[in-house]
Amino acid sequence: MPPMTFDAIVVGSGISGGWAAKELTEKGLRTIVLEAGRPIDPAVDYVEHVLPGEKRYRGMGNRKQVERYQPIQRHTGACDEWSSKFFVNDLDNPYSFPEGKPFYWIRGRQVGGRSIMWGRCVYRWSDLDFTANAREGYGVDWPLRYNDMAPWWSYVEKFVGIQGRRENLPQVPDGEFQTPWPLNAAEQKSRDILLTKFGGERVITNARLAVLTEDHGGRQKCHLCGHCARGCITLSYFSSINSTLPAARKTGRLTLRPFSVVHSVIYDPTKKRATGVRVIDANTKQMFDVNAKVIFLNASAMESTRILLNSATSEFPNGLGSSSGELGHNLMDHIMDGGASGTLPFAMDKREIGNRPDAIYVPRFRNVKTKHPDFLRGYGFEGRAYRPAWDRGSEMPGFGASFKKSLIGDLGPWVMDFGGFGEMLPRHENYVELDPHLVDAWGIPALRVHCSYSENEHKMQDDMVVTATEMLEALGATDIHPYKEDNPPGLVIHETGTARMGRDPKTSVLNSHNQVWDAPNVFVTDGACMPSTANQNPSITYMALTARAVDYAHQLLNRREL
Amino acid sequence: MRRREVVQFLGAALALPFIPRGAEAAIKLGAELHLRLDDVPFRTLNRDQQALVTGIAEMIIPETDTPGATSVKVPEFIDLILTEWASDDERAAFLAGLSDIDVRASAMGSPRFVALPAAKKVELMTALDAARGDKTGAGLAFARLKALTVYGYFTSSRVEQEILKVQMYFNGYQGSVPFTPAV
Repeated sequence: MPPMTFDAIVVGSGISGGWAAKELTEKGLRTIVLEAGRPIDPAVDYVEHVLPGEKRYRGMGNRKQVERYQPIQRHTGACDEWSSKFFVNDLDNPYSFPEGKPFYWIRGRQVGGRSIMWGRCVYRWSDLDFTANAREGYGVDWPLRYNDMAPWWSYVEKFVGIQGRRENLPQVPDGEFQTPWPLNAAEQKSRDILLTKFGGERVITNARLAVLTEDHGGRQKCHLCGHCARGCITLSYFSSINSTLPAARKTGRLTLRPFSVVHSVIYDPTKKRATGVRVIDANTKQMFDVNAKVIFLNASAMESTRILLNSATSEFPNGLGSSSGELGHNLMDHIMDGGASGTLPFAMDKREIGNRPDAIYVPRFRNVKTKHPDFLRGYGFEGRAYRPAWDRGSEMPGFGASFKKSLIGDLGPWVMDFGGFGEMLPRHENYVELDPHLVDAWGIPALRVHCSYSENEHKMQDDMVVTATEMLEALGATDIHPYKEDNPPGLVIHETGTARMGRDPKTSVLNSHNQVWDAPNVFVTDGACMPSTANQNPSITYMALTARAVDYAHQLLNRREL
Repeated sequence: MRRREVVQFLGAALALPFIPRGAEAAIKLGAELHLRLDDVPFRTLNRDQQALVTGIAEMIIPETDTPGATSVKVPEFIDLILTEWASDDERAAFLAGLSDIDVRASAMGSPRFVALPAAKKVELMTALDAARGDKTGAGLAFARLKALTVYGYFTSSRVEQEILKVQMYFNGYQGSVPFTPAV
């Protein structure tokens, strides 16, 4: 097959690949998006309105099938009876880790990637985050600061459509928000109490969410069905399929090719540039090349790095972009599974109407104004107050007519949950490499992942339990259940790093515009690029970095510098 | 957290968003093909076990002015889960626990739970309900039976439509609506 030629190649159609496609095509570049997985048809694949009663296992999932084909993916809650189809088959997509040191790599390979079933939480960072590595001596300094990013966050937020409440908190700067949903009665009361009891330090606010509360850009406002991870027929939450890919298609310059597994980047040592990518057709397994002036790797953090590792040349025997020795290193996730839940003593005469898809958020309050003695960095809490209704039946004592009547006619008291999400430090010893003994279904070397949490994350998790319990006690909650689970990294599905940005080609893989130092027409703008991971959910930052990098690439192309 | 615990019957993790309730008819899009429960015969529970499971499930959620557990085929759902979903160990522990329930009934003067007088059934059920934290035996089986009865009942299509009146579209969110329990 002769090579296809485009102005630009985007590898991956997920949350950052969609943005790369939109920005490149809107700037006039004929762009091909190479997606490893299948196409998605919202009319068929979105099943957010299929009730449990219509499912064979009523939502408990096809357990045996999932255990057989998705033994890793099954560990995430969204891989359920509706949405397991959006997660990869682990047998076709293997990877390895050392015995006793698991990493759960949760992946989606289809048009839209994980933007179909992502958590939709979007928070800006502050300079508290951007300067942390330099101040504390971990990893490398970010080559960016808040003022570099702010206009790009604004740019993407306006397109995405985000509901959020302005709080004027320096550690999570406000963004471009649509009107937020109100907190429910129990959350509002809890907010008021905690603001008083903690002197404004611990703030319950709306989770900032990429879900529309107002019609926006041809997409309808959320209809409050509450099942976003199964798709959205009204396109109310942001995903590549709902938003960026249609915008790219509208330009007439987009070619979207599903079933296209990118094997490697092709590098020309005489030009010191990449000339294109080598691709394997997922169905025919035929290999072919695609050429372009500029390449954006947006295959997800570890997949983009895997492509670079698999693109070794005589100049770069450890992979394209490996000259610093940092390619593959500094893998991070967040740490979760520390928190507490409890029963609230108020708002019994109030209920919600509508299944609001957001949660509440308590922004980071540790190591903001004062230094915590036990750990660096910080964490925020996600949570919500809810009335469990019939859901409380299996734990509620009793049976018979009055038991049944209570489950139907009462909702039970409000339950509040605070679950922490904390920052993981970048460490060189957390890394990925090509496994010399393992290939995927297309014969491409698979990754071997070496990653574990450090004492800093574990101490942070301990503190999550303490402070969540403190807040519930301050609310007068009863039946408080502190919880801490020792889950492996990966499960937060915020894996980042392995091709970090930096100021120095000797210590980083990418420059401040996400260009591979060793191959300047290759850009990596997904999670791989992150020198640190803060405690905020990362996707909106990938989007902003992508838009910023495309703008820069376009300038270079116009100046014929690529 | 509570929902997650509830549906962790037999130990598998599941995180479902809320099931909407209390509104009008459900609007469904994109319904998937699937095998209806009506089409599935009992495959794990024998006749005696069916009678025991049915008897207890109906006592947990009885027929009143609304359908009971039997009417919406909760026993068939439990058999489906035992047959296709549970592991061999989980199924064996559950069935052994059912036998233990009959052993407990024997001590109360009847060879089987289903043959106990009504008052004795209530007495034994009350004792089993208090033993739901047991790791084996009758208490474990009752805990799982109760969890599956509640879950199977409230996720049946008939209850979703006729009692919960599940609604999938709302024009706006209201977070503080007056509520008085109907109990």
